[in-house]
Amino acid sequence: MTETSFAQFLPALPEIYLVGAICALLMFDVFFGLKKPTRTASVALLLLLGGAVATLISADFGHRQVLFSGMYIADDLATLLKLASFLFVAIALFYSGEFLGRRKLQQGEYYVLVFTALLGVLVLTSAGSLLMVYIGVELLSLSLYALVAFDRENGVAAEAAMKYFVLGAIASGIMLYGMSLLYGLSGTLSLAGLATAFSGPNSLGLILGLAFLVVAVAFKFGAVPFHMWVPDVYQGAPTSVSLLVASVPKIASFAVAYRLLAEGLGEVSGTWTQMLSVLAVLSLLFGNLIAIAQTNLRRMLAYSAISNVGFILLGFVTGTGDGYEAALYFTLVYVMVVLGTFGAILLASREGFEADEIADYKGLSSRDPSLAFMVAVLMFSTAGIPPFVGFWAKLRIIESLVNVGHLWLSIIAVVMSVIGAFYYLRIVWVMYFDPPGDLPRGQPRLALRFVLGLNAAAALGLGLFPDVLLNVCQTVLHRG
Amino acid sequence: MLVQILFYAFATVLMGSALGVILSRNPVHSALYLVLAFFTSAALWLLIEAEFLAIVLVLVYVGAVMVLFLFVVMMLDINVEEVRKGFTRHAWLGWLTVLALVAEIVGVVAVKQLGIDVTKAAVPVAADHSNTAELGKVLYTTYVYPFELAAVVLLVAIVAAIVLTMRKRQGLKLQDVGAQVATRREDRVRLVKMQAERRE
Amino acid sequence: MNPNLLLAIPLLPLAAAVISGLFGRLIGRTASATLTIAGVLGALVLSLKVFQQLAFEGVPSYNDTVYTWLVSDGIRMQVGFLVDQLTVLMMVVVTFVSLCVHVYTIGYMHDDAGYQRFFSYISLFTFAMLMLVMSNNFMQLFFGWEAVGVVSYLLIGFWYTRPSATFANMKAFLVNRVGDFGFVLGIAGIVYFTGSLDYADAFAAAPSMATKTLSVMPGAAWPALTVICICLFIGAMGKSAQMPLHVWLPDSMEGPTPISALIHAATMVTAGIFMVARMSPLFELSETALSTVLVIGATTALFMGFLGIVSNDIKRVVAYSTLSQLGYMTVALGVSGYSVAIFHLMTHAFFKALLFLAAGAVIIAMHHEQDMRKMGGLRHRMPVTYWTSLIGALALIGTPFFSGFYSKDALIEAVAESHRVGAGYAYFCVLGGVFITALYTFRMIFMTFHGQERLDHHAKAHFHDVGWDMKAPLVALAIPSLLIGFFTVQPVLFGGWFGDAIQVLEHNDVIAHIGHHFQGPVAFALHGPMGAPFWLALGGVVTAWLFFLKNPSWAAAWESRLSGLHTVLVNKYYFDWFNENVLARASRGLGSVLWKAGDQAVIDGTLVNGSAKLVGWLAGVTRRVQTGYLYSYALWMVVGLAVLLAWFLLSAH
Repeated sequence: MTETSFAQFLPALPEIYLVGAICALLMFDVFFGLKKPTRTASVALLLLLGGAVATLISADFGHRQVLFSGMYIADDLATLLKLASFLFVAIALFYSGEFLGRRKLQQGEYYVLVFTALLGVLVLTSAGSLLMVYIGVELLSLSLYALVAFDRENGVAAEAAMKYFVLGAIASGIMLYGMSLLYGLSGTLSLAGLATAFSGPNSLGLILGLAFLVVAVAFKFGAVPFHMWVPDVYQGAPTSVSLLVASVPKIASFAVAYRLLAEGLGEVSGTWTQMLSVLAVLSLLFGNLIAIAQTNLRRMLAYSAISNVGFILLGFVTGTGDGYEAALYFTLVYVMVVLGTFGAILLASREGFEADEIADYKGLSSRDPSLAFMVAVLMFSTAGIPPFVGFWAKLRIIESLVNVGHLWLSIIAVVMSVIGAFYYLRIVWVMYFDPPGDLPRGQPRLALRFVLGLNAAAALGLGLFPDVLLNVCQTVLHRG
Repeated sequence: MLVQILFYAFATVLMGSALGVILSRNPVHSALYLVLAFFTSAALWLLIEAEFLAIVLVLVYVGAVMVLFLFVVMMLDINVEEVRKGFTRHAWLGWLTVLALVAEIVGVVAVKQLGIDVTKAAVPVAADHSNTAELGKVLYTTYVYPFELAAVVLLVAIVAAIVLTMRKRQGLKLQDVGAQVATRREDRVRLVKMQAERRE
Repeated sequence: MNPNLLLAIPLLPLAAAVISGLFGRLIGRTASATLTIAGVLGALVLSLKVFQQLAFEGVPSYNDTVYTWLVSDGIRMQVGFLVDQLTVLMMVVVTFVSLCVHVYTIGYMHDDAGYQRFFSYISLFTFAMLMLVMSNNFMQLFFGWEAVGVVSYLLIGFWYTRPSATFANMKAFLVNRVGDFGFVLGIAGIVYFTGSLDYADAFAAAPSMATKTLSVMPGAAWPALTVICICLFIGAMGKSAQMPLHVWLPDSMEGPTPISALIHAATMVTAGIFMVARMSPLFELSETALSTVLVIGATTALFMGFLGIVSNDIKRVVAYSTLSQLGYMTVALGVSGYSVAIFHLMTHAFFKALLFLAAGAVIIAMHHEQDMRKMGGLRHRMPVTYWTSLIGALALIGTPFFSGFYSKDALIEAVAESHRVGAGYAYFCVLGGVFITALYTFRMIFMTFHGQERLDHHAKAHFHDVGWDMKAPLVALAIPSLLIGFFTVQPVLFGGWFGDAIQVLEHNDVIAHIGHHFQGPVAFALHGPMGAPFWLALGGVVTAWLFFLKNPSWAAAWESRLSGLHTVLVNKYYFDWFNENVLARASRGLGSVLWKAGDQAVIDGTLVNGSAKLVGWLAGVTRRVQTGYLYSYALWMVVGLAVLLAWFLLSAH
């Protein structure tokens, strides 16, 4: 090998760094963390920031590099998604710190599993081959299964983890089957190879393989009718894990959908866009309608997640770069806002009070005005009310749909987001207009409050300056 | 010709044992059917000259994983009837779905509507060709990235397994080896200086 | 001009409003007051600096965007400032009057529990008004327009426990919605024709719009520009309280007096006048629209004045006077005398704010007694208030050398010069208005400050003059009420101060006609007694003296002799009656029909309850799907896969 042999792996630095960080964290926890788990938590946060730095160091803006015989793609999209993942996971860990301590879940392994899940996300953002898609999905899913079950004393969590695990295994089987069909048809695992192999007319064999893959992707997103695990996991898992499941894996799902469908099978987009449109409409419909009937906030957020996934899928339904860009924007915005929402649940909760029933938020405005205000901002944003950022996200999706002539889909999307606005605004209503009763007052927890405030401010700020993030999304998808 | 006869023979056994895995009522039987399925698929791999994979399949899955699995199944006293309750209520839908899926897959695969020409047979390699060396070479060059990541997947499995099962039970009497090793003489032996006593 | 400086002008009051509004209880009463006053003072100082730059340093006017919110289909929604001579005049007037009112509030609201809230509101109002006048596009104009409306709503209902206050603010809100509807249509028309929200684009496209037609109904093609201008003017009618949308203004006196001075006399109600002047390049091209403006303004000017004569509530008299004076300004707009309209707006802002604050001082001194029949002879008890209100009254009726004289006389002459349709009627109205103005103004002065004390025992015992925190703003406003006309009439009206900010076609330019005869402010004032207005005003004063001071019995006698007319006036021409019993009842009737048939049956019954039932049903069904059993989850996944496959395999065939 030549002397430059290590430099050629530079684009893969984030993953290499993270593997090192996982090992380092394990060892650190053994030697320093057992007595004082908060140390491990702090080191984990630092390591995540280091990961963001590593991503920036390795980034080669405006260029696309392919490593490891085509298995690894380093481009601007990957860089953006990795940066976002590092950042969002860091925020998620920050939000959950107090909760984990209170529930005695603050063990080093928790952080290790979060890191391995993050590694899965990173692998998926750079996936250049079916094999990498599979390994990334497994890495992410396995870690999440373990995290959902992390609170061993909690029977509900164990049940949720079990369901998630078995269904996830079925989904993995479905995915593998679809991949093997595609491999059999094309003789290649590389996504670039698939793109050239499937440039001709659609065959039934392709549809067969594609349907399996689409189902697997839909499962990862949590789209109807492959959504069954979502409410159970959101409600059953420890809140800090729900926060994690709800946020960063959506980025991974976007990455899978983009790499696999848009890049790998972009030539045959006609087939999978139709499949996705069915799933998207079902998700919007069921997600929103069922969310209305929920009394548990986490369960409501689960159905809200399902309906928001419908929006992301609608971005893919367009089959155009414009739509992918809208989906990317929507995903980033959604993950940011959902982080804030779960952060608010964590801030409101305390010993013996999980704050995950909607009724727990009665009169929050008088018990904890600043928290109520932040939740209101986040809810307004999710509901898609201007000038909050959620409005632009939905607007972009609908705009891209209209641009390719999907009038009916865009009407469904609008109607469903109006229905969706109802249950988000109901939270605001409960907070501001219902009497507080004898519910407890807010606790200071200033650091958490501050970061949550920044999160809510971002929901407003990015709405006032929508171009900032939109331009980024446009640039990374090379449409600038 | 012989190869083809062998293939169909093993394939039939494989399908049969796979059905046995999901259909037999006794979990131990299911596990044993699975062992059979592994053996037959190993034989199928041998037929396509993937000797290393075939042997590893037998060694790892049959030798280690399945034995462990059998232990677990036998140690846990699973009430099968309990688990199956309610399952039968949706059985008609299950069967319908299975039939539909099989029909769909068969409709595409068997009717050769795959959209590709029939796959070419692989060129047989020379007798002294080392399948193992080839695999090793590929694993550490082309597939080094997924290979390393697969290692991380295993790490996750280990960490997850430990964290989900290890627990400190209260009131259990255990040796603390670390403490034993780290102990110093001063902790155990106390030298007492005292005046010599006169013998009476 | 430095955009950051311009940005600071509205943002200072905003910041003060936000802080004292959100953290008022935390920082306390004094800090809230100090903070908001400092904010407005800062805005005033900066406005004066801009004024100085524009007026004396020859800095060109500023027109640029500071923030683009979004671009949708080529229509840019943005925040931008157009700061020229017209704007800067408004800025200085708004911030100066606002500052006086802020200071005055310290004393006026001293005992009120909502002290901080009040300061927050008036600072917020100042912000909104500045955004309105500084805007360079219709979106921001509309934002300011609605924002001042909202703050006005909040302030009229400031004492929200009084039913009359909540009724009044609801009324103000609803009547303004009617005006806003027209306003939005006007803006929509402009966007439709120009594809832009910018003033500059609209003005540039005005000549081409003048040639286009708009068929609102099939078969009727109306000139586009006329329709747009009239729609915009309907908005102005709502905000500037022109008949028949004036009904909210007298009722708005339910709010605390500083508000009446700031919002309902000096600034917000002039927004409509300002807007029409700003849109002069559009209005100039439509004779029909200008005639409409003229007739409506003239009617308001005269007929609202009558109401001032019969009202006994001191604040309402000033309120009707405001309506009448707004009518004068509208008349000026209607004869293309935009500059004189703005000039009158400015002088009026000072003396009307002064009169309101003086009335407020009387009310406070009388322990919230507003009925003039229970006052009288107060000039000895509160001399400062008396003299300052006398200055305000003299300015209002147009006494030579007082500020009101210059603006009103120039205005009347401009009407006389105009040959527009309706100008004759308008001339009659404004001349008659002069007499009426003098009559009700001095009726108020005489009844309040002169004659016998009619205070009851309780009022006498507890009477106490107001402190200097309230007198100082009176004095501060009395000075410009007295002097500002004298010093500014030449440059503002005849010196081409407005430059390009106001555009008048040459054959419409009545101000230029008057300008030919103008020989300086002294000569102009000395010329006053040569004209009819002077004698009419004097007649009004004398009549007031005769009827309300010398022989109060005459007033009662005339009242009974003209009882029919009196009843009409006391009932305010039955506008309220009409609105409440005809319009409101009809719309309530229509509403209840729609409610029963449409809402309850279709929407509630079918859509809302129906969808609720549908949701319930769906929830029931999905609850059966979402059994919680793992095998059923798995089964549904596979069913989904099978259905998806079947669908696409079959459709691909």
